[in-house]
Amino acid sequence: MPIIVNLDVMMAKRKMSLNELSEKVDLTLANLSILKTGKAKAVRFSTLEAICKALGCQPGDILEYKKEE
Amino acid sequence: MKFSTKQILKLLYILSWIIFVGVCIEAGGSIFSAFYTLVINPINAATFWAGNDLSALYKYDPGHFFGETLLISIASVMKACIFYLVIKILHDKKLNMSQPFSSEVRLFIIKVSCLTFGIAFFTEWGVKYTEWLVRQGVKMPDTQHLRLGGADVWLFMSVTLFVIAQIFKRGIEIQTENELTV
Repeated sequence: MPIIVNLDVMMAKRKMSLNELSEKVDLTLANLSILKTGKAKAVRFSTLEAICKALGCQPGDILEYKKEE
Repeated sequence: MKFSTKQILKLLYILSWIIFVGVCIEAGGSIFSAFYTLVINPINAATFWAGNDLSALYKYDPGHFFGETLLISIASVMKACIFYLVIKILHDKKLNMSQPFSSEVRLFIIKVSCLTFGIAFFTEWGVKYTEWLVRQGVKMPDTQHLRLGGADVWLFMSVTLFVIAQIFKRGIEIQTENELTV
């Protein structure tokens, strides 16, 4: 998929663990793991909003478009 | 009085077992009766399975008797196979009502659809064969009594199940997408 999820990069920058983020955004670890590993097919705006709020970043910092070769 | 899905499935499971035993007896009975008539005692043709008198057919030609009983037996065995699949899916608890769209259920529907198409094909063939034998002057029992009736209904069921299997294919995709939405 040409959409890259940079959640792990942002989490590393903010020094936040997956458990901590899971508690802050009220998402299960399994769902966060799906998002982190790029297996997710879709992201709800509410989830994106919660993640951006918890990490203090913009949606563009988490999602990136890379053209497939 | 309200029944839960679990109770309905349990009831269907018991009902499927009863029907399965019935169709197995019918299939076994017609196969044994044909075998007994052809190999051991030809007089048995007069009291073929379910009281059908096929003595005229046997007298006309044992080869045609074999052909007719083969079609009846194939249709009966296929009916038993359908109920075996129903029992198997209910026994293995593959029907998950919280996430009903699964590849196992789709495969089950496709298998049942193929089997019903097979029954439709063989019963229709049996009916045409019986009609041809009647035209040759052989006294034959009614096709309903020979368990060869209702080919059109089987065909309709087959097509309907095939359409449902296609709907399931899309359902599986939507369900997977929903599961992977965070």
